[in-house]
Amino acid sequence: MNRFRGLVLVAILVVLSVVALAISEINIFGFSRGGDSALGLTLGLDLEGGTHLVYRAVPEDGRQPTQEDMEGVRNIIDRRVNEFGVSEASVQLLGGSAGTVPDRVLVQIPGQTGAAITLNFGADTVSARTLEAFFHDNLDRPDAKVKQNENRSLNVQLDKIRAEVVDRNGNVITPSEADAWREAIIDWFPVALQVGYILPDIIPPAGGDDTAVDPVTAEVGTLPTLEDVQAAFASVGRSDADIDQVEAVDGLFSILLKGIDTRTTDDEGNPILGEDLRILNALREIGTVQFTSSQGALTQWIIGGGIQEAKNLIGKTAQLEFRYRECGDLLPPSSDIPWPPDGLSVDEWASARCTNPAYFTESATEIDAADLDDAFPDISGGGIPRPVVTLVFNDDGADAFFDVTDRVARQGDRLAIYLDGEELVAPGVDQAVGGISGGRAIIEGGSFTAEGVRTIAIQLRSGALPVALDLIQERNVDAVLGKESLERSLVAGGVGLVLLLMFMIAYYKIPGLVASIALIAYMVMLLAIFKMIPVTLTLSGAAAVILSLGFAVDANVLIAERTKEELRSGRSLLAAISAGFDRAWPSIRDGNVSTIIVALVLFWFGDRFSTSVMQGFALTLAIGVLLSMFTAFFASRLLLRLVATSRLGNNLNLFVPVRDRGHQDQQGEPAVGGNA
Amino acid sequence: MDIVGKRRIFLSISLVLVILSAAVLVTPGLNLGIDFTSGSTVTFRFEGGDPGTVRVKAALDRADHPEAIVQATGDNQYFIRTDDLGNTGLDAITDEVALMAEAPATVLDTSTVGASVAEDTVRNAVVAVIVAAVFVMLYIMYAFRTVPSSYKYAIAAIIALGHDVLIVLGVFTVLGMVINAEVNAIFIVGILTVIGYSVNDTIVIFDRIRENVTLAPAREFRSTVNLSINESITRSLGTSLTTMTVITAMLLFGGASLRDFLIVLLAGVIVGTYSSIFIAAQVLVLWEHRALLPWRRTAVSS
Repeated sequence: MNRFRGLVLVAILVVLSVVALAISEINIFGFSRGGDSALGLTLGLDLEGGTHLVYRAVPEDGRQPTQEDMEGVRNIIDRRVNEFGVSEASVQLLGGSAGTVPDRVLVQIPGQTGAAITLNFGADTVSARTLEAFFHDNLDRPDAKVKQNENRSLNVQLDKIRAEVVDRNGNVITPSEADAWREAIIDWFPVALQVGYILPDIIPPAGGDDTAVDPVTAEVGTLPTLEDVQAAFASVGRSDADIDQVEAVDGLFSILLKGIDTRTTDDEGNPILGEDLRILNALREIGTVQFTSSQGALTQWIIGGGIQEAKNLIGKTAQLEFRYRECGDLLPPSSDIPWPPDGLSVDEWASARCTNPAYFTESATEIDAADLDDAFPDISGGGIPRPVVTLVFNDDGADAFFDVTDRVARQGDRLAIYLDGEELVAPGVDQAVGGISGGRAIIEGGSFTAEGVRTIAIQLRSGALPVALDLIQERNVDAVLGKESLERSLVAGGVGLVLLLMFMIAYYKIPGLVASIALIAYMVMLLAIFKMIPVTLTLSGAAAVILSLGFAVDANVLIAERTKEELRSGRSLLAAISAGFDRAWPSIRDGNVSTIIVALVLFWFGDRFSTSVMQGFALTLAIGVLLSMFTAFFASRLLLRLVATSRLGNNLNLFVPVRDRGHQDQQGEPAVGGNA
Repeated sequence: MDIVGKRRIFLSISLVLVILSAAVLVTPGLNLGIDFTSGSTVTFRFEGGDPGTVRVKAALDRADHPEAIVQATGDNQYFIRTDDLGNTGLDAITDEVALMAEAPATVLDTSTVGASVAEDTVRNAVVAVIVAAVFVMLYIMYAFRTVPSSYKYAIAAIIALGHDVLIVLGVFTVLGMVINAEVNAIFIVGILTVIGYSVNDTIVIFDRIRENVTLAPAREFRSTVNLSINESITRSLGTSLTTMTVITAMLLFGGASLRDFLIVLLAGVIVGTYSSIFIAAQVLVLWEHRALLPWRRTAVSS
């Protein structure tokens, strides 16, 4: 069977391919392929849903960005996208024909048309896995993916959140899904509260988490009893709380309750006291609280993510600047000038001197954003928490920060903080406090939103872009649409393939059957190759698959037709198959090679198109055509010979219909199994 | 079957088609999508039933996009094309259409292309096609180096290729007028596919001619061509029929997203098969008998 060694090779490859496709996730020695998609293939944005953004570098002051600038841009965007909680995002530089610097950045974010919720239980009380299971099982959202952020908050990625729909008068017709989820999460995950009371005449020692010491003068001399605490909870409408007095220590209670609503705004957006604070106030009324600690309350609930946030995040330069703002003089510089100027009152002057650009001057400081070690979104303390960004400087930055704030405090001036040329905040420093040491600072902007601080923090942490970027192209495909496209293409492709095989068998009989087997082997190997490289499968890639399938069919048709001709001219079956293949091969080769040339040219040009459509097509086509040559050479040819040597070979009618065979038929059945 | 002898009929048909295609390409021209003109497209799906094109259009007018083109694509879905929506435009129109429909409007797919990108796309597409054509010509010259004047084969193949691309563009222009088919990135892919198919199909016939020329160099060239066409016509039809079967199946069962592309492919396969037999090979014959340039014509019997 030496002659059929090639066939054995193909058989082994097909078996390997089937195995590769059957195991959805392959992981061997760090070589990992596949995933939870169909057959573990890597799907493009148009089939999976996602976002495709192209940015172009804007030359500044006539200076073209250098290669290093663009590499820097790529790395920073890469970091930002990763911080955003996106896996499998791709960031690549585009453009730059031979020898020039690429000027565009292509960012592809799969599955990001949906939305994300960032939430925080305050501590590690709820794991990402638990929350994911909760979304899957209780909220019926199998698409939810939860991961933990560095600052212990949890990030939930979803395909989609149904937004609220309001009518013309502003009445909510359908509430947002997320609101219902928030309620459900609050109701489901318990909050564990601990409260310790002391007698008011004892000086409280330091200690306890979240210490909230408040020497309230109520019921001096005795500690609150279990009944008192129960009554306190009942007074805020939470008689459902499960309250225990911890035996060993009097005045120490542990309380378990569900459904604490920590929202700090009501439905109209007005600030209100969160339920946690109302409970705390009620507890303070019945005794002197030594400490309270709470675990598991939902302290953060930010709906963000989606394309808008991604766009804000990626393209911003994120140039953070600290400027010294020298306010207008508080006192008249000399006695003959009317002061305050411009007829302002003393009160008006007190604020205008530091806020109206006409009255202050600014200068650069030694604080360099490059000295920033970390930046993260946070929530300010105080009665009504506000979103803030906490900055952590390294030693150099901390020193500079101390120097500047010290001067600000002494002079009664301001420290102005700018992000991308926009003033975030320009706080003063309390004279009594003086310079701020330790290298930690909080930026609390008046217009900060919870989503906003997250974005700012990520931008600051990932560093400033060396060049400004302009969003020039954008495409978002909804995950649901992508899935539909994929399913429909698969169904259509399947139907097409079945029709094709039926046609081949009906028209070409045994050679058709052989071709069909070869085509199935071809498809299986092609998909396996796509999975193992991996090739990202897109709609245009699917087009290339159709075309390469056409080539594979063509090769088989050519072989079959040529074989027929050779049979007609009176050769034996095996000789005809050999000669038929030899005759067909040059045209298979030339046709396929010129197509591969087209594919290579396209691949070469592909990255100038700001879209991956071309390159996807070209790569898929080149692989498909190469494989079709391989299949034709080994599978089709050898399989045909194998069938010819079997008993089927005795029935020449199965190879060439009688009407096609011409006169030499009468000479009897040609010898079979001859010396081909 | 004397196909070469009837070449005047086929060449005339092609000439008419090419002229018609060129005419519709000049005016009204292709229905260019945002990849070429810049702007934005959005596909909405209305969860609460079909609001009707008129109301969607009215909602877009209210959202300050009177230039918007609205197209129903079935399944309560609407394809909308506007000027560049920028950063906030999408939210504005989403709000407005949801308000109109009083039900959530899901944004299935959005796309925005800036003006500079659009320019690049046109230029790059043209350059890519030309470069590809040149390299294919060079390869054909190399592959056919055993026959005399192989450059003729290369040029004939490219003429057939240009014929195919032009007619497919013409067909698509008509489709643009009839069903609003739009030229987008996937359309370019379709044209590239047609190029691949056309060249391959032509080469198969030329391969036969090459073989027959080598086998019987003394035979008159037009007889050789005619013989070769007759020998390979079953294969040509076999391949194009099977390919068309697959494309038609995909057209019938596939989603709207691939529809335009598949139509391009179908037209390309038909024209590509036709041109390999009736154009590419005939150009070779005309050239061989110096009939391409009338004043240099030698007697061509037909």
